[in-house]
Amino acid sequence: MTGVTTLAGIGSTPRSGVGVARWYRPEANLTLPNRPDPSAVDPEVQRERFASAREAAREGIRRARDRAAERAGEEEAAVFDAHEAFLDDPGLVDDVESAIDDGTLAEHAVRDRFDEAVERFERMDGRMAERADDLRDVCDRLLRALLDAPTATDLASLPAGTVLLAERLTPSETADLDPETVAGIATVAGGRTSHAAIIARSLSIPAVVGVGEALAEIADGTEVLVDGEAGEIVVDPDESQRAAALNDDASVVPEPVSTADGRPIEVAANVGSAAELSPARDRGADGIGLFRTEFLFLDRESPPDEEEQYEAVVAALEAFPNDRVVVRTLDVGGDKRVPYLDLPEEPNPFLGRRGIRLSLEEHADLFERQLRALLRAAAHGGNEAAAGDLAVMFPMVSRIEEVEAALDAVESVAADLADEGVEHAVPELGAMVETPAAAFLADALANRLDFLSVGTNDLAGYVMVADRENDGVADYHDPLHPAVLRAIDRTTRGAEGTHAWVGMCGEMAGDPALTELLVGLGLEELSMSAVTVPAVKTRVREVDSAAARDLAEEALACETRGEVREVVGLDG
Amino acid sequence: MERIVEVVPEAGLHARPASKLVKTVNGFDADVSVGRAEDDEDDLVRADSMLAVTGLNVEHGESVRLVAEGPDAEAALDAIEDLLMSPVEGDGGKDEDGEDPHGGPE
Repeated sequence: MTGVTTLAGIGSTPRSGVGVARWYRPEANLTLPNRPDPSAVDPEVQRERFASAREAAREGIRRARDRAAERAGEEEAAVFDAHEAFLDDPGLVDDVESAIDDGTLAEHAVRDRFDEAVERFERMDGRMAERADDLRDVCDRLLRALLDAPTATDLASLPAGTVLLAERLTPSETADLDPETVAGIATVAGGRTSHAAIIARSLSIPAVVGVGEALAEIADGTEVLVDGEAGEIVVDPDESQRAAALNDDASVVPEPVSTADGRPIEVAANVGSAAELSPARDRGADGIGLFRTEFLFLDRESPPDEEEQYEAVVAALEAFPNDRVVVRTLDVGGDKRVPYLDLPEEPNPFLGRRGIRLSLEEHADLFERQLRALLRAAAHGGNEAAAGDLAVMFPMVSRIEEVEAALDAVESVAADLADEGVEHAVPELGAMVETPAAAFLADALANRLDFLSVGTNDLAGYVMVADRENDGVADYHDPLHPAVLRAIDRTTRGAEGTHAWVGMCGEMAGDPALTELLVGLGLEELSMSAVTVPAVKTRVREVDSAAARDLAEEALACETRGEVREVVGLDG
Repeated sequence: MERIVEVVPEAGLHARPASKLVKTVNGFDADVSVGRAEDDEDDLVRADSMLAVTGLNVEHGESVRLVAEGPDAEAALDAIEDLLMSPVEGDGGKDEDGEDPHGGPE
């Protein structure tokens, strides 16, 4: 190809990457033998081959499930349960077996029946057509087992900087990809909501799907830019295109930052699954300011055991060996439902049993198990040079009694572990400030704890009495309302003169236009989606803390959101 | 034995809710068939088949007719009703900015 060519598709992971094109053609080595005369086929033998292929496929599906759970989270792993259900589909199995009995080789019987089913799905509209990928995936596994054909390319160990091109990718194939080495994905077919696209997104791999047949023009070895934001593939990108597309990566600031006058501000990342750890590090996060543990509990039949939780936390500590990792204890209730936890039906769950309230009563056993895992992990941090420091915080605190009960629980778990001779340590302990009650009680909280972390999304919701999912009150749900700013101010002032530090996790922390205001309000740590870490770090370095304090004072004196927006330089 | 149940999960009778339905049906000694509430009994499909169940293309908010026969018929229908009436996580995955939709506000 000569000159620059741009191909349009559907951006499915809104990130960009540049790398060297490499085609993935798994179908190439799945050539079926010729069809023998039916009389030459022994149905017994073929039935046995089919049965053992099913077992091999089942093993493969379960391995893929485990890998996806580890890399992308339980949510993404669940698609493989659907694959197993297809593998066991009694209609399909009967059809294949009866074709075998009529004198068909197992591989032909499998391909014929699956092709029919795939075709039926594809004739239906978009969403069903995407589910056809799941069937293809299962069919491929069966055929590979029958033909004894390993996958054409080892997707798990592609050379660094590969842009993978394919007709389509199955969810299994996508889950195999290593986000560290794959610079991007582009496919001829597929939609934004296909399982493969969802998995790519959760792995943060730049992806453009549905490019169409034009993609086939790109030869192996060509330099390609995958622009997941614009939904474009650029062949042989020039310097300016590369720079524009990779702009967000260019400004990564790996080291800790301070304001222009030398006040250190920790800029950390919010993380909700194991797969987000290394992207957060790549973006230069100074540790994790909010590690949501809910992902360990969702989409499963029973809660995780102590060991699984311990390992998840240790993995986070090892990902940030020189930093702090703040783990939030289980925060369910409200809009977060977990079927097996048997949460009560409540007329108004946001004002009901959620967060620490559940942990101290209904879920005291789960809380104890989680604390055991956390205290053990804290010791790991203390002994290993290659692990960060653990901090643990409690969600939805509104009463001092809750904090005291939680501290008692920590103490009793520590005593149990000591009795058992299990290595452990008590990490830094803190509370989330997301209720007006916690903001009013910040001084009392700070006297008992090591830190406070302001959760601005819930705090804005509870101060303004507005559900952020309700468009009808979207104007109310904004942390720039003076009432919310004053609640934040109350929190930082409450902690003044104590040993407790105050941080913030929530959307507000990740907006570089508000960094100066937040520094002025006295926050020492800001934790956000990893993607905004570079911009906020850059901004922190420009801020003068005295000027920031003046700005905060001015904003706190405002009486309306319009005035606040004007003061912070946003259009009124 | 027959029952009409609304499909509450956001994902409809697709991916995960469908595989859970199939799994549930397989756990009971009962023959269960399923179809849209307005369909005739002749149009129902076997509920232990992932292919048949997803092939119905039933979306969130539609109602399905469930017919069960066998010793565990009633228990099977109860379990299925529980499953279809609870808003389990859909198959929407992460939203655009990569935020975990279940991780909650903070």
